[in-house]
Amino acid sequence: MVTDTIAGPTGTAPARTASRRSRTPTESFTGRRTGPWMTAPFMVLYLLFLIGPLIYGIVMSFFNSSIVHSGLGRFAGVSNYREALTDSAFWQSMWHTVLFTIFTTPPLVILAFVLALLTERIRHGRWFYRFAFFAPYVVPSAAVVLIWLWIYTPAVGLATKWLSAFGITAPNWLGSADWGMISVSLLTIWWTIGFNFILYLAALQEIPREIYDAASVDGASGFATMWRITLPLVGRTTALVIALQIIASLKVFDQIYLLLSGGPNLSTRPALEYVYDVGFTDYRAGYAAAASMIYFLAILLASIVWLIFSRVRVKEEAA
Amino acid sequence: MSAVTLDRAQPAGGVSSRRVGASSRTRFFNALCGTVVVLFALIWLVPLAWALVTSLRPEGEITTNPTSWWTSHWTLSGYRQVIDSSDLLVWYMNSFITSAVSAALSVLTCSMAGFALARTRFKGRRFMLGLLLAGLVIPPQVLIIPMFQEFTALHLTNTYWSLILPTAPNVVAVFVFMTFFRGIPTSLGDAARVDGAGWFRLYRTVYMPLSRPAISAVAILTFVWTWNNFLWPLLVLSSTKTMTIPVGLASVASGYGAHYAEVMASAVLGALPLFAVFVLFQRQIIEGVTSTGLKG
Amino acid sequence: MLLGMGGLVLGGAALSGCGTPLATGLTGAAPAHDQFTYWNLFAGGDGDRMVEMENGFAKANPNIRLSAVTLAWGNPYYTKLSLATRGGRPPDVAVAHLTRMQTLARAGLLQPFDSSDLARFGMTPDKFTPKAWNNAHVDGKLYAIPLDTHPYVLYYNTKVCKQAGLLKSDGTLVDMHGPDDLLNALRAMKKVTGKYGLVMATINDPSSCWRIFATLYWQQGGVLLADQGAKVVLDEDKAVKALELLHTIAVEEHLMPPAVDDNGTVVAFSTGQAGFLFDGEWDNSIYTGNKTPYNMTRFPFVYDTYTCQGDSHTLVLPKDSSRDSARLNECLTFIKSMLDQSYTWAEGGHIPAWLPMQDSAKYHHLKPQSNYADVANAVHYDDEAWYSGSGSDLENVVGGTVSAVALGSLSPTAAVAQIRSRLQGYADTPSPVS
Repeated sequence: MVTDTIAGPTGTAPARTASRRSRTPTESFTGRRTGPWMTAPFMVLYLLFLIGPLIYGIVMSFFNSSIVHSGLGRFAGVSNYREALTDSAFWQSMWHTVLFTIFTTPPLVILAFVLALLTERIRHGRWFYRFAFFAPYVVPSAAVVLIWLWIYTPAVGLATKWLSAFGITAPNWLGSADWGMISVSLLTIWWTIGFNFILYLAALQEIPREIYDAASVDGASGFATMWRITLPLVGRTTALVIALQIIASLKVFDQIYLLLSGGPNLSTRPALEYVYDVGFTDYRAGYAAAASMIYFLAILLASIVWLIFSRVRVKEEAA
Repeated sequence: MSAVTLDRAQPAGGVSSRRVGASSRTRFFNALCGTVVVLFALIWLVPLAWALVTSLRPEGEITTNPTSWWTSHWTLSGYRQVIDSSDLLVWYMNSFITSAVSAALSVLTCSMAGFALARTRFKGRRFMLGLLLAGLVIPPQVLIIPMFQEFTALHLTNTYWSLILPTAPNVVAVFVFMTFFRGIPTSLGDAARVDGAGWFRLYRTVYMPLSRPAISAVAILTFVWTWNNFLWPLLVLSSTKTMTIPVGLASVASGYGAHYAEVMASAVLGALPLFAVFVLFQRQIIEGVTSTGLKG
Repeated sequence: MLLGMGGLVLGGAALSGCGTPLATGLTGAAPAHDQFTYWNLFAGGDGDRMVEMENGFAKANPNIRLSAVTLAWGNPYYTKLSLATRGGRPPDVAVAHLTRMQTLARAGLLQPFDSSDLARFGMTPDKFTPKAWNNAHVDGKLYAIPLDTHPYVLYYNTKVCKQAGLLKSDGTLVDMHGPDDLLNALRAMKKVTGKYGLVMATINDPSSCWRIFATLYWQQGGVLLADQGAKVVLDEDKAVKALELLHTIAVEEHLMPPAVDDNGTVVAFSTGQAGFLFDGEWDNSIYTGNKTPYNMTRFPFVYDTYTCQGDSHTLVLPKDSSRDSARLNECLTFIKSMLDQSYTWAEGGHIPAWLPMQDSAKYHHLKPQSNYADVANAVHYDDEAWYSGSGSDLENVVGGTVSAVALGSLSPTAAVAQIRSRLQGYADTPSPVS
């Protein structure tokens, strides 16, 4: 695409290349004066509301700042970091975040793929399935939780009733530490699967029919076709879906906060809610900033590991 | 690539040609697949359908028979109650204004930046690109503490700006526009430049009109994302007059207690506008998601 | 032309009409001044009664447009209130627990009341429960107007107690003093019910666990925290003694079901599986509603000095630079109106802090709600700390440990060690409000 810029088909392009070589770029060819101006609105907002807060947050994490006072407060050295790193409640909340990711990512990827595969085989009314699976994704978290709170209500909730119709005693969905995370995971799978589903559906539709036809001529079974042909061809989508899914799951807050407030007995509180609790409920802004930075580093590390891993795989595939 | 598109345009034909010689085993397998997916789709619709049905039943009936799917007395009293007793209509307006302005501001700032980075060459451009790449890995959620202090110091809490300003610096959107603009042949722009058009006019009259897919993807997804944003609005919106739908539902509607018809009515009302957006713009949303991978 | 002008005027009117919240959002200006905002955290029966009182106020003051908002109870409420005040857009008046008000005041989020302002509305110190009134002061300044006192109390099933021989001739509970009296009563009731003597919430309700521990500990004269929470002065012997009694009841003699949540206590007490229920007084309407044969009295006198855990709902003024004297008058009018409607409030079980009501015959005839009115000055508020108070970290942390003792998974000695080490962590943390 960059070559596209340099070697345009019209007569102006060679002149541009020449001017670049002679190191005398002019405004009309390079936009060296207009360019910065056009990025300025974005860059100002970007620096003010992303980079600036990041730097301020890093600074704040070394102070005993309070959310109810302006200013940084007393210098605290690394004591905030020391406290966060040794606080079992913090590590538990980090673990809950990881656990939520482990609970939700595999079903959200595999089930989305299977549903897309099945939907793709259907001839009529594909819009209906797209609607059924994707519609929950546009519902605001608060509305989703209001609905599911009632589904999970003991004794009279839908989940309880239906299970008992099959003779199964429903678990204490929201009240027991063992089930809290499972309940919120089920809700999340229902709520967000549509996103992965349509990514897969689009990828499957990109696969040329001829490939399948050739495979069936060769006598490959349906399962072998899927394993040998479909899966590798949607490999890129799978990588994207997994990456987006893991990153989104690591940032979980809304549904756990709204459904369980991190309970019962803090058994589902995710890292982001820990930051919220210590920062806004306990007023400890400096400490919460330090906890956010550790949490941020963990996400960053996960992204980097993923990046290296997927690079290696891409190279292997290329080779 | 064109073959794929052609084939996609007639999927039914492709499938049927495959089925000509299909054995009864494959036919059975196809029927099984169909049944399974129908079953899943129905399961997926149950929570929404149930919420809708419950919201239309009288409160007294729900107490005596909570999980029934039928009533002979359909009523809108749950909805009337919610609209009368809460600021729901104000929340609608707040959500709509903040989402719409955020979408417009995002498109404007990100497309301009994307254009400059794709098409112009200036000092510090590489540094800027590096800075943007770094921003790609910063989840805004980890910045809630310093952001809150910043917005408090700026006296911007409880204003629309507190929601709009942080959504504008969307790095992914800049890269979406940048990639899109790079895909537009320079020859188109060069023709305009021969006529003496400046960079800004080039952006406005040549590139933007050609970028409808990118614009609608960024606009719609920013709109949806801002509408559904929860944690940050929860922190900065404390007056019930400035709350958005999700924050209002979460902080105020939870006070309805055991009035299930009202709770479900508020959930349905909360979901309704984006449902409409989804039905109207289904194609654009799905294309946007698949072509950009933008996720909240 | 005229038509056009008419259209303009109409359009302008429509714009300014719906433009009020719009302008609020865009400029961040305070909500229109004709709205008087009041925040509370009451759900269930208390919520219904509060709405009734709000309506009473609105009827008496048609010129003040009341906008009352109910938010989720506990930490979410206080977080929201703090952030709203910090962000410069607080409600005009808010409800706060007395024990949480102290932290809010020290954080600089509340405006103190002026005694001459209060006197103009007839709210003088002699008209309030002294204990609540005195505790509503922080550093000598009054920051809250107490609405009630809500103690931890004893509900007893009259049918079970009668069969167990625990009722006096007038039908009220016999006097008990000391741990043995309590244990014997529970044993007698266990024989009658065939199940248990006592029930209390032990799971998913750390506050309930905190209340039983704190009451038993404080009745021995123990103190938990000093220097506004910077020091843990836990008396380990007394704490172990308190938890050993709980251990005896729950684990050794099975006098109460070990794992019960709030809903479970309702079931166990209404169906007569247990004769005693330890709980806050606010659940009485449930048992009146489902026709349980019951009565209420103060929490048993188990150790040396009588006290029981409790708190007060108060009304506070969040700090607001835009509050002028006219608005202040509206605030005080509202507060006075709430006090005047104390009877409605008392029906929910809370002891009115407003003495003209507390001393009235009308209240004394309100049974069983007035049976424990005498503890209004004997309640023990949570020790002051930035992490204490109703629904706070202190209650959650200590309550969690106490719950483990009731469930039999932790010995009293180990539990006390755990409480000390957990509290020490908070005490070592520099206070975020000083």
